[in-house]
Amino acid sequence: MTPAWKRRLSFTRMGRWYTGLTIGIGLAATNTGNNLLFLVLGLLLASIIVSGILSEQSLRGVRVERRLPSVATAGQPALIGLQARNGKRRAPSFSLEIRERGGDVAGHGFLVLLPAAQSAEVAYRFVPRRRGLHRFEQIEVATRAPFGLFEKSRPMDSPAELVVFPREVPAPPLIARTLARDGERPEDRIGLGLEVHSLRDHRPGEDARSVHWRSSARAGRLIAVDREQERRKRVCVVLDQRRLRGEALERAVEHAAALVSRELDGGAEVSLALAGAFLPAGSGEAQRYAALRLLALLGPGGDGLGAPEPDAEGVVLEVRG
Amino acid sequence: MTPRARGLTLLQAQRWAGTLTAAFGFLACAVSGEMGPAMTAFFPLAVAGAAVAGRRFQGRVQWGWTVLLAGALLVLGVQVFAGQIDIILAAALFAELLCIHRLWHRRTERDELLLLLLALLLLCAGAALSAEVTFGVAFLGFAVSGTWALALTHLRFAIEEGRGPAGSAALLNSRRVATPALLGGLAALAFFGIAGAALIFLAFPRVTIGGLRRASRPAPIAGLGDRVDLSRHGTVADDPRVVLRVRLDPAPHGEPRDLAMHWRARTLSQWTGHGWRSPDGGLIPVLRLPQRPPRGRGVRSVLSGDIEVVGQFTDGVVFTPEGWPLAVDFRQPGTPQPAGRRLYRNAAGDLFYQPVDGGDVRYSVVADTGRLRGRGQRYPPWVEADLAVPASLDARVRALAQRLGGGKDPADAAAAIARWLATALRYTRDLPGDVTDPIADFLFVRRAGHCELFSSAMVLMLRSLGIPARNVTGYFGGRRTDAGYYAVRAGDAHSWVEAYFPDAGYVRFDPTPASARGSRQEGFQARMVLLWDSLQQRWRAFVVDYDLVSQAQAMRRIGQLLHETGRRLAGKDGSAGQLRRMIAAAGGVLVTAAVIAWLRRLRGRARKGHERELTADQRRAAALWRGARRLLSRAGVEIAVGTTAGELARRVPVAAGLVRAYAAARWGGRRLPPRVVRATLRELRSGLRASAGRDI
Repeated sequence: MTPAWKRRLSFTRMGRWYTGLTIGIGLAATNTGNNLLFLVLGLLLASIIVSGILSEQSLRGVRVERRLPSVATAGQPALIGLQARNGKRRAPSFSLEIRERGGDVAGHGFLVLLPAAQSAEVAYRFVPRRRGLHRFEQIEVATRAPFGLFEKSRPMDSPAELVVFPREVPAPPLIARTLARDGERPEDRIGLGLEVHSLRDHRPGEDARSVHWRSSARAGRLIAVDREQERRKRVCVVLDQRRLRGEALERAVEHAAALVSRELDGGAEVSLALAGAFLPAGSGEAQRYAALRLLALLGPGGDGLGAPEPDAEGVVLEVRG
Repeated sequence: MTPRARGLTLLQAQRWAGTLTAAFGFLACAVSGEMGPAMTAFFPLAVAGAAVAGRRFQGRVQWGWTVLLAGALLVLGVQVFAGQIDIILAAALFAELLCIHRLWHRRTERDELLLLLLALLLLCAGAALSAEVTFGVAFLGFAVSGTWALALTHLRFAIEEGRGPAGSAALLNSRRVATPALLGGLAALAFFGIAGAALIFLAFPRVTIGGLRRASRPAPIAGLGDRVDLSRHGTVADDPRVVLRVRLDPAPHGEPRDLAMHWRARTLSQWTGHGWRSPDGGLIPVLRLPQRPPRGRGVRSVLSGDIEVVGQFTDGVVFTPEGWPLAVDFRQPGTPQPAGRRLYRNAAGDLFYQPVDGGDVRYSVVADTGRLRGRGQRYPPWVEADLAVPASLDARVRALAQRLGGGKDPADAAAAIARWLATALRYTRDLPGDVTDPIADFLFVRRAGHCELFSSAMVLMLRSLGIPARNVTGYFGGRRTDAGYYAVRAGDAHSWVEAYFPDAGYVRFDPTPASARGSRQEGFQARMVLLWDSLQQRWRAFVVDYDLVSQAQAMRRIGQLLHETGRRLAGKDGSAGQLRRMIAAAGGVLVTAAVIAWLRRLRGRARKGHERELTADQRRAAALWRGARRLLSRAGVEIAVGTTAGELARRVPVAAGLVRAYAAARWGGRRLPPRVVRATLRELRSGLRASAGRDI
C-alpha cells in the first residue's frame, strides 16, 4: 500500500532553468560579496520554498475515485471519470492534474480549482485497442502550482479492472432474413402466439377477442379460437478456440460477438458454446453482457479443454477461424 | 442582457504581468544610469510598440531581429575587448535587447518563460550595476509582478495543456479568473517571498571569494570649481541635493536640527578682476599633515567627523570641518584601504585625494577646533600671495578698510570688518550681473549681495590693510536626518574668509550675515530629497553594506537577546518564578490542545469518509447501528457486514423498534436526539435479556 505521505518531485523545464540560475546567482553573490545579489538569491530561494509549501497544500486532503463505464468496446472511445474531493475545510487546491499511473490504461484530467470541502469530476477519453481485461493500479494527483517550477505528485492506490468487449464488426452473412417474425416458431400446444391451434365453442365470460367470427357466422353460434404457443428462435453460437491463435483468434471472437449481438437483436435466444465453457440460452441485455464478457476474456485454449458442446435445441452457428 | 464583466481576462493579465516583470527588471538596470540615454529610452518605446502592434508582427521579420541581435552582440563584444564598457554592462544591454525581442514575439510557453528569465537576468545585472535604493524599489516591483507572471503563466499554459486550445479559450478569455482577489492573494504571496528573502539575506553566510568585483562608476557631473566669477547673472538657486553626509564625534551639543558648521573645501586666493581662482601649482602627496602652529591660549578640543561625499560632488576635494585638520583616514572599520587612494595638498594647503573615480568617498577627519587669535604682523614669505591687492581696487574700498580696521590689531581689524559687513550690508541671492567692479558695486551701489561678495570684499579689505587673507569655498550647515547623520545639501554652498596670523595660522572669518548662511531649505521638495536620502542611507547601511561583520553582529545581538531572556527566566526573584510558571502553564495548555486536536483528527480519519458529511442526527443513527451490533454480538448474534436494516428486523424481532428509529433518522430525515438513542439501546438490551435462552 502506498503511504499517504509519499511524494514524487520533478523539475519542469522552467524549474530547471530557475534552479540553474539560482545556483549561478548564489555563486556570483558569494564571489563578489554583492549584497543585492544576495537579496535576489534570497527571493529566488524563498520562491522555491513558498512553491514547495503551496504545492503540498494543494495536494493534501485530496482524494480521488475512479468511475469506470459499465461497458467498453475495443476500438470505441470510453469515458473514464475521476471524481476528486478536497477534504480540506478551508484551503482550496489549485491546478491539479489527475492521471493514471501503472496499469494498462493511460489518461489524465485537469482541474484548475478544487474548492475547499467540495468535489469535482473530470473525465478522460480512453480508446481500448484490444478486448479483455484492463487493469488500473494507481491514481496520481500532481500539481505544478503555484509557479510551474516543480511538479509534485502524490500516488494513491486505486486498483480496478475493466472488461473491454470485442471490437464491433459486421456479422458474417449466414441466413437471409426475410420475415419479421423470423425469430419465433410454433411449439404445437395452446398458448399466446398468433397462429391458430384449434377451434372450439366459446365459453361464457371469455374474452370477446377470442371469438373466431368467420367460423361463428358459418356455425351460427359463437366459436372461439385457441392460438398456438410460440417460442423464440434458439441459436447457439459455437466457437472452438483451441486451435486459434493471434489474429485468427481475435477475428473469430469478433465474429462470434457480432453473431451473438445480431441474433439477440433479432429476438432470438442465444447460447454460447466455447471450448471449456458454455453460456446457456437467454435473451436480453443481460445475456448480451454475459456473452460478450465471456468472449472478451476468452484466451487461446489448449488441448486440455473439452470441445464446445452446442445447445441441442438451438440452431447452431459455428464460427471458424 | 447580462452586464459585461469588468477587469482583465486571464490572458491579458498574464501578458501584462510578464511585461511588468520585464519592465521592473529593466528599471533595476536603468536606475544605475549606466545604460545610456538611447538604450534607456529604447525599452519603454519598445514596450509601448509591442503593446500596440506586437501581435501584428509576431513571428514576422525574424531575420531582421536575428541580424539586429547578432550585430549588437558583435558591437558589444568589440566594446568589451576594447575596454570601453565592462562585461556586466554589455551583458545587461544585450539582455535588454533579447527582452525586447521576446516582448515582440510572445506566442508559446517557451517565449513567456524566456521573457521571465531574461527579466531575472536584467534584475541581476541591475544588482551589479547599481547600489541605490531605487534598485530596492525595482526589486520590490519585480518580486510582486514576477509572482503574478509566474503564477499566471503557469495557470494559462496548464489550462491550455489540460483542456486543449478549444476547451481552454473560454476560460482564458474569462474576466472572472484574474480577479483582484486572485491578484491580491498572489501579491500577498509575493510579500511572503520577500519576507523569506529578507530572512535568507540576513542569515546566508557572507563568505565572499572576492573575484570579479565590480565598482560602481557614476560620472562626476558637478563639483567645486577652481574659480569664481562674481559678475554672473540670475539668482543663486536652492539645490536640495545632498552633498555631504556627516556624523560628528562628539555629537553637537543638544543635537540641533540645523548644524552651524563650515565645511571647508578649497582656497581661492588669486583675484582675477571679476572673481577668484585657486593658486597655481600642482598637488603634493601628503605623508603627514602639517602640525598645527603652537598656541599660547585657547581651549584644545578635537572633533572627529565621519564624512561621506556624494560621488558627483567630490571633484577630488577633501572637505574638513572647522579647525585645523590633524588626520584624514580613508579606511572604514572592517574594510580594507581603498585601492590606490592617496591624500594630496596644494600650495594653499587645501586637501585633495586621488584618484577621483566618481564614486562616493568616505573618510574620517580629525580636526583641532581650539580658537586662536592674532599674533602680530610678521608674516612668513609663503603667505605673500595672500597679501596681493589688485591695482584696480577701488580707492573707496581701501578707505573703508582703513576706517574700519586701520591701526587696530589684525585680529580686531578682521573682526571689525566682518562685523560691519554682516550688519551694514544686506544678503541677497540676486546676482549682480555684468558690472565692471563687482566689489565696489556690492559695497557702495547695491549694498547687497551673496556670500561670495561678502567674503571677497572682506579679503580685499584685509589685504589692503596688509593682513594676509584668502577666499575659501565650501558648505555651511547640515540638517539632521532620521537616519542619524547630518545632510549638507548643494544649496548650502558657501564662501568665507581665512586670515593668517603668525604662530596661529589661518583663522576663519565669515562676514555673511549669520541668518543668510547656508540654505536652510524647508520646502516640500527639500524635505522629500532629505527623506529619500535618509532612506537611501538606511538601504546602504542595512542592505548594501551588510557584510560578515554585520552578520556576526546581528547574530550576536539575537544571541544576546535570547541569552537575556533566558537569564531573566532563570532569575531568582519572584517575578521570574511567576513568569516561568505562566510560560509552563501556557506550554502545557498548548501541548494538551495539540494532543486533543491530534486525537480528534485520528478519530475523524478512522471514521468512514462519508460519515463526515452526515448531519448530526444521521451520525447518531450510525452510532445507534454500531451500538446495536455490539449488543447483538455480545448476545451471540453475529451480524454480517452488509446486513440491511430490514434483514436485521426480520431476523431479530426485538430489534424492530431500533431498526425503525435508525431508518427514520438515517434515511428519512427524522430527528434522533441522544436520549432516544440511549432509550432505544436500553430497550434492545432488555429485549435481548428477556429473550435470552430462546433461539433468536
